[in-house]
Amino acid sequence: MGSFKGKIAIVGIGEVPSGKFPDRPCLQNALEACKEAIIDSGIRKEEIDTIIPTGTFFDRRYNTDMVFSKLVEELGLLRKAKNNFQVFAGGSSSSVMLKTACGLITAGLAKVVLCVQSDKVGSSPTQQMIDLFATFGIPEEWETPFGFFMAGTGSLFATRYMYETGTTPEQIASVVVSMRKWAVLNPNAMLRRELSIEDVINAKMVATPFTTREGNILADGGAAFIVTSTERAKDLPNPAVYPLGFGSRVCHYAISQNTDLTRLGFYEASQEAYKMAGVKPEDVDVAEIYDGYPIFPLITLEGLGICKRGEAGGFVYEGNTWPGGKMPMTTNGGMLGQGHTAAGGGVAILVEAVRQLMGKAGARQVKGAKIAVETSMGGTFMDSHVVILGRELP
Amino acid sequence: MRGYEKPLPKPSTWSKPFWDGCKNRKLLIQQCEDCKKYIFYPKLFCPFCLSRDLSWVESTGRGTIYTFTVVYSYQPTGFADDVPYTIAVVKLSEGIRIMSNIVQCPPEEVVCDMEVEVIFDDVTQEITLPKFKPVR
Repeated sequence: MGSFKGKIAIVGIGEVPSGKFPDRPCLQNALEACKEAIIDSGIRKEEIDTIIPTGTFFDRRYNTDMVFSKLVEELGLLRKAKNNFQVFAGGSSSSVMLKTACGLITAGLAKVVLCVQSDKVGSSPTQQMIDLFATFGIPEEWETPFGFFMAGTGSLFATRYMYETGTTPEQIASVVVSMRKWAVLNPNAMLRRELSIEDVINAKMVATPFTTREGNILADGGAAFIVTSTERAKDLPNPAVYPLGFGSRVCHYAISQNTDLTRLGFYEASQEAYKMAGVKPEDVDVAEIYDGYPIFPLITLEGLGICKRGEAGGFVYEGNTWPGGKMPMTTNGGMLGQGHTAAGGGVAILVEAVRQLMGKAGARQVKGAKIAVETSMGGTFMDSHVVILGRELP
Repeated sequence: MRGYEKPLPKPSTWSKPFWDGCKNRKLLIQQCEDCKKYIFYPKLFCPFCLSRDLSWVESTGRGTIYTFTVVYSYQPTGFADDVPYTIAVVKLSEGIRIMSNIVQCPPEEVVCDMEVEVIFDDVTQEITLPKFKPVR
């Protein structure tokens, strides 16, 4: 059984701007992203033999259309595509779609895989979305009756983390400041205005310690990426981006059952991924870290070994993750800057990691970036995924 | 008078003893007869050793607050009259964890590792929710 390492390449990416676009149908989000990824890759679309749409939250019927091969028909791949199936883990769909594609291609079961995400949670009614997310990943029998909801999830991690590490509200707020600084440079971002720490902590309180500025702003969006063999990638126009290592842990379904909300699974996941990739924390040029809430980049920076335990807040506060900082982090602005497109928040971050390594990140480009780490989390931050990507083969 | 407008638990065949226990002012948790581990929330079989030989035992109902949040706005439907309210994960003395509300305590006085004990809130005729208050 051979490893995927060295055999797999990401060769194209596509993305539509995130935001609230009531008149832009969700299918358009998917199709525009797919088309852009196909053109970007330089691959003939007829070579795509496997389409993996991830899940969509805003509408069950649309989601079923994605499962039932709507995109195969729209992209003119009937009787050419061999597989269309969903791979879905909420926010960590990015990492698990890539893993699935790596497995299929390495095993010889697919040659070119198109992974795509699209959703429309931004222009759906707000209270409807709050109530929807109040039941998603939150046990209806054990947590919903107490008024628990998605906007309280990050808060439970943050309260304990601050208690154990002494991290301050200002330090946590600086994560939002960092995300917004990157979003200003990203034409696909929804929240392109800089915020000060005071803007963040003086905003309306939602669920302590987090204010409205520290919560997700739901957005419509879509993104896609194309995965193939290193062999096929050789004569394609983009510099290929190689997945080098994966690591992950699932730590809860019900948030109350997680035994360490201050570390999650990132310590174990990182060690696995670094070992597989043969790289160390100091080799990382750009850290494309999943946010959702500003607590998670802090926990993740520590789990990745980029910061010591309890020091990530100070690290971000001092500007190390901002444009020009020594560890550029979540350079698309993350969900706190680009907007939360449901499962797409993670896909956008993976696409940004690829964009950085291809050298196509424009004003956000981290010069000479060779190694990127991408992380993701799904549900109520149930799992911790770490993916190491490289511009060069090991 | 308005009825109870918040979401209610819908007990399953294997969790019903827990909710019946709450009505009777007892916080019941499962214990595996084979591996002796305590189990919460109620399971069909033991998640540690997969045994179906589970019994119900009464928890001390005492524990500490592992973490919490105080909700001020954007609350789910039905909770508008409750804000600010405190949601916490309580670690019971048996080592199991349960989500609930902290009551009979001003939100600004709630801290991690605070000692709490269970009280029972009869929210409807059918459902009693276990909530927690500080040990004074």
